[in-house]
Amino acid sequence: MSIAQVKRIAISDSPWPWLLPLVALLVVFTVYPLIYNIWLSFHEFVPKQRVLKYVGMANWIQLVNDGRFWGALGVTFLYFFIALTVEIILGMSVAMLLDAELPGFAALRAILSMTLVIPPAIAGMMFLLMEDSQFGVLSYFLGQLGLLDKSTPILGTSSLALLGVLVAEIWQWTPFMVLIFMAGLRSLPAEPYEAASIDGASSFQMFRRLTLPMMSRVIAVAVLLRGIDLFRVFDYVFVMTSGGPGTATYTVSLYAWQQTFSFLKWGYGATLSLTSLVIVMVMANLFIRVAKVRW
Amino acid sequence: MHQSKLVRTVRTIAGWLVVGAFFFPIYFWTSVAFRDSKDIFNWPPIIFNFQPTMRNFEQVFGISFGFARQDAVAPGGGNFYMAPRLWDSIVVASMSTVLAITVATFASYALSRMNFRGRHQFVNWVLSTRMMPPVAVAIPMFFIFKQFNLLDTYIGVILIHGLMNLPLAVLLLKSFFDDIPAEIDESALLDGASRWTIFRRVVLPMAKGGIAATAVLCFIFSWTEFLFVLTLTQTGLKTVPVVSSTFVTSIGTAWGNMAALGAAAIVPAFFVVLLVQRHLVRGLTMGSLKQ
Repeated sequence: MSIAQVKRIAISDSPWPWLLPLVALLVVFTVYPLIYNIWLSFHEFVPKQRVLKYVGMANWIQLVNDGRFWGALGVTFLYFFIALTVEIILGMSVAMLLDAELPGFAALRAILSMTLVIPPAIAGMMFLLMEDSQFGVLSYFLGQLGLLDKSTPILGTSSLALLGVLVAEIWQWTPFMVLIFMAGLRSLPAEPYEAASIDGASSFQMFRRLTLPMMSRVIAVAVLLRGIDLFRVFDYVFVMTSGGPGTATYTVSLYAWQQTFSFLKWGYGATLSLTSLVIVMVMANLFIRVAKVRW
Repeated sequence: MHQSKLVRTVRTIAGWLVVGAFFFPIYFWTSVAFRDSKDIFNWPPIIFNFQPTMRNFEQVFGISFGFARQDAVAPGGGNFYMAPRLWDSIVVASMSTVLAITVATFASYALSRMNFRGRHQFVNWVLSTRMMPPVAVAIPMFFIFKQFNLLDTYIGVILIHGLMNLPLAVLLLKSFFDDIPAEIDESALLDGASRWTIFRRVVLPMAKGGIAATAVLCFIFSWTEFLFVLTLTQTGLKTVPVVSSTFVTSIGTAWGNMAALGAAAIVPAFFVVLLVQRHLVRGLTMGSLKQ
């Protein structure tokens, strides 16, 4: 290409000179890793010879037969559904409570946004301290309410550990829902509600027939963005339980990471991470189609 | 709707109580940063009635505030001297923000202003890169970085954080550019101005507020990121969230020190996020919802 040609493209109305840096970065940092990951999933690291050996479909066959993977997938989905359900319901309730011009409510909305800037790893540490059975303030409160025995460590008990992690998750991300829903509530028109109250509708009917339908797009966007992040949960389980006790809190992301970096199963780790990628992509794109979310 | 005085009072109290419950962990964590270990490891746990001390901050940052005895700070700044890690966080977050914003402003301008085939698909492609689980990027990136000697370097982490924030920056900036009437561009084009001139002289100055808000959000997301830094660094640099886990030692967890570092990292972020309250929901929804 001559300089004149380059110049002509640069001053023309073509969008590509503007998009080129973005495309280059995205290709180098998402498409290339993706291809590399696929290649890696057909290989495995041999520690003794320090080489990657071609193993064909072995990693994928192992994946299908790996009980720990299916367990981790189950934990991830359980985490996903519990967190999403609680965050939506709690978020909507708090948003409706705070959607009023009452003394100090503007300050309350600002305070709520504070949880969003805390690194999730540090939020996990906060709850690790508060859920400690020896001196944790949350364990103490629950004990006072008669909900928890002092000798039961929340994060050290298989049946409770995931709930213990979920408390941190829900605490940090319910405000995300609250802020989004509150913005949605504020943009609702007043007329339908006036008409409905003249017709004698109850407030529950108004919520079901007016608020929910008019808020559907807002809810869909919030669910999509939170859902994407929920499915790849890593930080909380890594700092709070490292997957334990046993495998009670193993998520797919954590399992993939540990296979790669703790057990040096580079190929299998890549296989696991690819699987989680495929699941997120399929679920998110299905959701975008069904809920008709558009950017 | 008119509510009685009683309903309003109950609602006000309920609102304060709910938000108070959300605020409590933040208060508690910050208070731990100012406690001696006897006030941390007490049963029943102490909530308000503790002896405030600056010792944790002195140990973590290797400085003396003059409240504790000088020897409370070990030579060389104590066992957990963390000031450089705070600096690492600042460098990584600000440089990656510059990278993401620079690349994204150009792309967003084209996506907002130019009609071309496949524009909608292009936006969707950018959005879909946001869906990639970090672990599916971090694992191959570890090996790629190893080949190119980018492991454990500022450049490597800055690149990966910049990339991570690109989808957010592109979509959010596009929504801010979309707010500026296209007629302004069109009349300038008719007057013979080039796209570049319009971008630089018209659109950029008008979108200043939006660009600043986007930058703040990119900065915060880099500041709080954990998995990439954990995977792609060893000893050369570490950001605050990752280094916090080093306080968990075989002889117990240094909660006070950890809380001091955490508080030092979180409190500035609170004030920063207050600056963008107006655009926060738009940012959290990647430009999809406007307040």
